[in-house]
Amino acid sequence: MSLDMSPAALTRATPRLMRAEPLLTMRDISKTYGDVRALRHVDATVYPGEVMGIVGESGSGKSTLLRMMNLEDTPDSGDYTLRLPNRDDGNLFDLTRYERRMLCARHIGIVYQNPHLGLLMRHSSSGNVAERLLIAGERSFDVLRTKAREALDASEFPLSRMDARPIELSGGMQQRVQLAKAIALEPALLLLDEPTTGLDVSVQALVLDTLKRLQRDRKITMVLVSHDLGVIRTMADRVMVMRHGEVVEEGLADQVFQDPQHSYTQQLVHAKL
Amino acid sequence: MSLSSLTKPWAATSYGFLDASAKRELRRKMLKAIAVPGCQMPYASREVPMARGWGTGGLQVTLTLVNPTSVVKVIDQGADDGVNAASIRRFISRVSGAGETWDTLAASIVQSRHRVPEEVMREDQILVLQVPNPEPLRGVEPNISIARQMHADADYGKLWLTLYEQIVRKGRIMQGAGYPSMVNGRHVMTPSPIPRWDVPKLNMAKHLTFLSAGREKRLFAVPPFTRVEPLVFSDRPYQVEHHADLTCRRSGVSGYFMNELPIDGGGSAFEVSDSNLGIKAIQQAEGAAVEIGKTWYRNGEFSA
Amino acid sequence: MAYVATRGGEKAIEQAERLFRQDLGTIDAARVETIQQTMPYLIDRVMGEASLYSEELAALALAQTGGELSEAVLVLRAWRTTQPRIAIARPVQQDEILTQRRISAAFKDIPGGQILGPTLDYSHRVLATDVLEGKPYAPPAVESAAKPAPATQPSLADWQREQGLLAPTGEAKVAPEDIPDLTREPLLFPASRAHRLQSLARAETGGVLALGYSAMRGYGNAHPTVNELRLGEAEVVVRHPRGTEFSAGRVRVSQAEVTSKEKGGFLDLGFAATFGWNEVKVIAAATLDLNSAEAPVGSPVHEEFYLYHTESVEASGFCIHFKLPHYVTFQSTLDAMRDAKAKKSAAEQKGAVERQTEPAE
Repeated sequence: MSLDMSPAALTRATPRLMRAEPLLTMRDISKTYGDVRALRHVDATVYPGEVMGIVGESGSGKSTLLRMMNLEDTPDSGDYTLRLPNRDDGNLFDLTRYERRMLCARHIGIVYQNPHLGLLMRHSSSGNVAERLLIAGERSFDVLRTKAREALDASEFPLSRMDARPIELSGGMQQRVQLAKAIALEPALLLLDEPTTGLDVSVQALVLDTLKRLQRDRKITMVLVSHDLGVIRTMADRVMVMRHGEVVEEGLADQVFQDPQHSYTQQLVHAKL
Repeated sequence: MSLSSLTKPWAATSYGFLDASAKRELRRKMLKAIAVPGCQMPYASREVPMARGWGTGGLQVTLTLVNPTSVVKVIDQGADDGVNAASIRRFISRVSGAGETWDTLAASIVQSRHRVPEEVMREDQILVLQVPNPEPLRGVEPNISIARQMHADADYGKLWLTLYEQIVRKGRIMQGAGYPSMVNGRHVMTPSPIPRWDVPKLNMAKHLTFLSAGREKRLFAVPPFTRVEPLVFSDRPYQVEHHADLTCRRSGVSGYFMNELPIDGGGSAFEVSDSNLGIKAIQQAEGAAVEIGKTWYRNGEFSA
Repeated sequence: MAYVATRGGEKAIEQAERLFRQDLGTIDAARVETIQQTMPYLIDRVMGEASLYSEELAALALAQTGGELSEAVLVLRAWRTTQPRIAIARPVQQDEILTQRRISAAFKDIPGGQILGPTLDYSHRVLATDVLEGKPYAPPAVESAAKPAPATQPSLADWQREQGLLAPTGEAKVAPEDIPDLTREPLLFPASRAHRLQSLARAETGGVLALGYSAMRGYGNAHPTVNELRLGEAEVVVRHPRGTEFSAGRVRVSQAEVTSKEKGGFLDLGFAATFGWNEVKVIAAATLDLNSAEAPVGSPVHEEFYLYHTESVEASGFCIHFKLPHYVTFQSTLDAMRDAKAKKSAAEQKGAVERQTEPAE
């Protein structure tokens, strides 16, 4: 890789990102499922307030990496730290299942491509958001109601339907409920796993607009996984390109798209364009 | 030394019906249950000469606790003369020689289905509740292995969510009997299908409570002076049944949990559910020297 | 006091039991013996579900319950659990079983041969009404084969293992007293294989059939082929305190192995065995065993699902317990419902009043 990844080079290019220490740091993550080496020595760094895009075809390991960030799985080796105010949890993979659940409930939000993974389809939409608050210990019904309403509103979900069940809603609306659930506790990190894949193009654009607005207004740090370069391009500040469980290229989104260094990235970008 | 000096005389069954190995296992599990309040302990749950679901769990605990000096009260729905209560009491006394009573004050062991007596229980008394379904998470997670893991993680979000949903849909929490309750701030248990009226009686109680499900092979305990807190939202207070103002048509007592009896031509009459409390009140009114103990509710208000 | 229907409870239950017993009349040794002699397959089924091998006690249980099967099983189980466990029998090996019937659907012929033995499989199921017309049915004599079948038969699975068709068995060196005993400890999940097979061995025949059939019809992922079905008699070999091993008697046993498809280069095998001769039960149970490994949680072929729901004593007990009074729980539900209704109509009235007063202001 010829791209200059030194901190100095990055600072020159994106002073905004480097004003802070990284929020997320993953070091040397490897994971094998049976015979499949899903992740090989992956490093990842995400700075506060940025949108990190991860691209790659299916099987590249991008969703596996995102699940690791959400502590849903533990790698065979590697460290994961999050810089959270007034906390030092060390390597998050060393946490117990209980500690992971509490940490994720409070500090990490996730939106899955498949709403069935993220939502209880037969509970109310507001209840889906409230569950997150309940896990974090909120016990006032009125506060639950208010916060659920605010989160749904911020996700541009029609409040007249806040007690409808997700199973009665369209795909785009279901993604907005997932988003509201993810942001209800103002997470330090928002993980998006192909959040608009499978939606109509027009709906996709609307959901992306909501995400952009949230990012702008709330400065939420996001990691966005997608196979769709167009989505990554409109959203991401920086990009990681993955293939066969490895990171083949990483850099500022504009650089990577305009001047891809790795042959695989070139192939991807040109195939798309 | 001869064989007969080494062994006990032959008997068809052991004292208290259960053999020593069954009792040993139960005692271990009962001690564990006391050590971790509200946590369900799996146990072998031997067959007893009674159908599953008819109090076999409570019976096994009682048979393990009982000794010839015990005095046993058994109630079903609050009544000592319910058919199944009578059958269980007769069985316990037959296999253990324990005394039988209807009077809560006189009992050393109270085995009950669906009620906690109205008279305050003492340090020297044990309450054994029969439990049909020991798993408060069954409604949100029917798989037992997953539910066990959820208890281990104190993962009660979904349970709270069902309460939230009920308020959203119905305007109030619709849970009837068996209200899920947090024990000692750690494990959520079902208090067995006792009415909401009875749950506060378990909180910081002087007596020990065992809850045992024979069919599901789980037992748990509320040791004396242990917190039992119904799951409620801070701004939606716990509501017991609206029985505070009802009066028993037979005994005239009021302010206790009542049975509702539909009457011809519409309307309802009420009879006190703790049947022996009613009987004692009638006897007192007739001038008999009967003692009614302090009750958990006074003038319809909980005030233990 | 209280429940009208239960007043005088003690007397009522006494008389209710008397009514039941009166209908059955006097039970004597002759009746028990008749049941034992004439209903061997029913006795087998009850012994299997009770996990107690005693034809005489099973016949007695049937006699005193009038053939109410779940009651008969409960009586036997409740008796069994009070008995001490005095010895642990040596595991039964297939090639030591005195085999009366042994068939395989997987091969046309197998080493040792297909032994049909006693079966109704190929009979025409015609009701013998002549018997009621006063013509007793006397079965025709069985003609002996020219060459008697050997008393024991080799294990087909052993042959398949030698051919590399079945996975080699691991060296599970478990001391007999360390084999978990379902009757002395709770069933937990995931269940040990010993617990799973013990639980299936004493499961309710109809329940195992229903869930096994659901797997066969397509709710499982494996369609069974009967690899080997065996009915026979096994010696109960126990160790004398002096160290010598001896047979304490013979028990009738059934066992079935079913197979389906390849897994990891070998044929997958499901197994079940039970006391007594009960082919339907072991084939259905082995099918459930076969399907367990990949069963989705909550499906009928998931072990937690089928083991819990085929447990005869628990299932029947819980089912009949719903006859017990539930008026306290019902009262509690009623209270919540009335309150919710009152709240709703109060809210609606308030709304109506507000709407009415609005235009005036």
